[in-house]
Amino acid sequence: MKILIDKANCVGNARCAAIAETLYLLDDDGYIAVEEFEVPAGMEQLARRGAKACPERVIQVIEDDQE
Amino acid sequence: MAQANLSPAVPKPDHVPASLVYDFDMFADPGMIENAHNRALEIVKEAPPVFWTPRNDGHWVIAGHNAVFNMSRDTERFSNAMVSYEQIHAMIASMPEGAPKPLIPAPITYDPPHHAVYRGPLQKAFSPKAMTALKDSIRELAVALIEAVKPKGECAFVDAIAEPLPVTIFLRMFGLPVERQREYRDLVKEHFEDTDSDPSHVQARLKKVTDIMHDTIMERKENPTDDLISLLWQSEFNGEKATLWDIQNYCVVLFAAGLDTVVNGMSLGAVHLATNPQLQAELRADPDKIPAAAEEILRRYTFTLPPRFVSADTEFEGVQMKHGEKAVLMLPAADLDPSEFDSPEEFNLAREGKAHIAFGTGPHRCLGSHLARFELNILYEEMMARLPEFRLDPDKPLTYHGGHVWGPDEVYLKWDN
Repeated sequence: MKILIDKANCVGNARCAAIAETLYLLDDDGYIAVEEFEVPAGMEQLARRGAKACPERVIQVIEDDQE
Repeated sequence: MAQANLSPAVPKPDHVPASLVYDFDMFADPGMIENAHNRALEIVKEAPPVFWTPRNDGHWVIAGHNAVFNMSRDTERFSNAMVSYEQIHAMIASMPEGAPKPLIPAPITYDPPHHAVYRGPLQKAFSPKAMTALKDSIRELAVALIEAVKPKGECAFVDAIAEPLPVTIFLRMFGLPVERQREYRDLVKEHFEDTDSDPSHVQARLKKVTDIMHDTIMERKENPTDDLISLLWQSEFNGEKATLWDIQNYCVVLFAAGLDTVVNGMSLGAVHLATNPQLQAELRADPDKIPAAAEEILRRYTFTLPPRFVSADTEFEGVQMKHGEKAVLMLPAADLDPSEFDSPEEFNLAREGKAHIAFGTGPHRCLGSHLARFELNILYEEMMARLPEFRLDPDKPLTYHGGHVWGPDEVYLKWDN
């Protein structure tokens, strides 16, 4: 599973990191620091929850069967 | 608290269809004063997602969740400034030297790209990481305030806890003397209760705020500490050193935001907990549920209504809007919209997968949201841990204030020790 983030439209809610801080890394201002990453095996559900928590709806989950 | 009188209804402009007119005085609506969020639920059911109210000189109200989301993020068409940054700076440039410049609340009334320049210096200071460092001092104060009222078996919650907790934390951060708290709070209340939007009167109100802080501001210029006023003095904007005017522009916003918003969030949370003993029992038995409860309280009782101004004639969600018109983002209604949240009136701790927008969306997202979340969570944790089951005092019914920040005027709690 892969996560794609529209980083330019992150406004620093940091809700993704509140759910999964090891997946969604923030910069010093508290904005998302990464644009995409592969989700480690076993952390898929956490990654999905983090994505859904974004009030800006800028986090996209690419399931393996979509690739 | 003195209630605003219902403002006179003005005739609707020709471009507003009759089907979009709905009567809602955001400062004095009687239903809102009686129970703010019941009124928001009613509006979501009865009114169009984008409607026009004839009250307060006539303005748009954006109540639907998607409409609020879209307008908040469309900073090109919907400005945070009544007058643009460029117009204000042109006006200031034409003023005689030494004439007092009008105060412009910063960075909240700046649009991109200027907004990022002025918000920049504060981002790190309000980041989740910076706020984590305040957790112990927030908890220490929360514990002291709760323990002080506990033996009495009752308290006026706003006065005893919801005001002093966040206001003390904020004044310390800001660098203002904590012992003048009462004076500052009275000034903020006066500011928010005043519905007069005449520019010269607004300026007079803002000047009162900068006057009360003036000595501290000047002192920090010479003797910087680790507070926000010192941080702002050390900032540069587009390569220019901060001026007294810049600092004052920040202060008017931070002062109002820091001293009023989360007070209301805490008070709304206290009302919900006091009227739901089964939820109190659930949270006492399993404090790990408190973060989810704090989020659901924010959704169910979202409490700010920030304004936007139409930058040029445009069509939004099928509605014709004219340049200069005001549109109020009714966040409390957006978070109670059934098209976004199933059974929105229900308090549901398992409501995962839908994000509320209590702190707004788009680049103007509440700068203090991380601080507010820590304060709310810590307060609820300590109330659950330290107080027995509490309830509202049945002899003292609630009344609410409306306007741009909603909340109960006072919350009288009782418990049996």
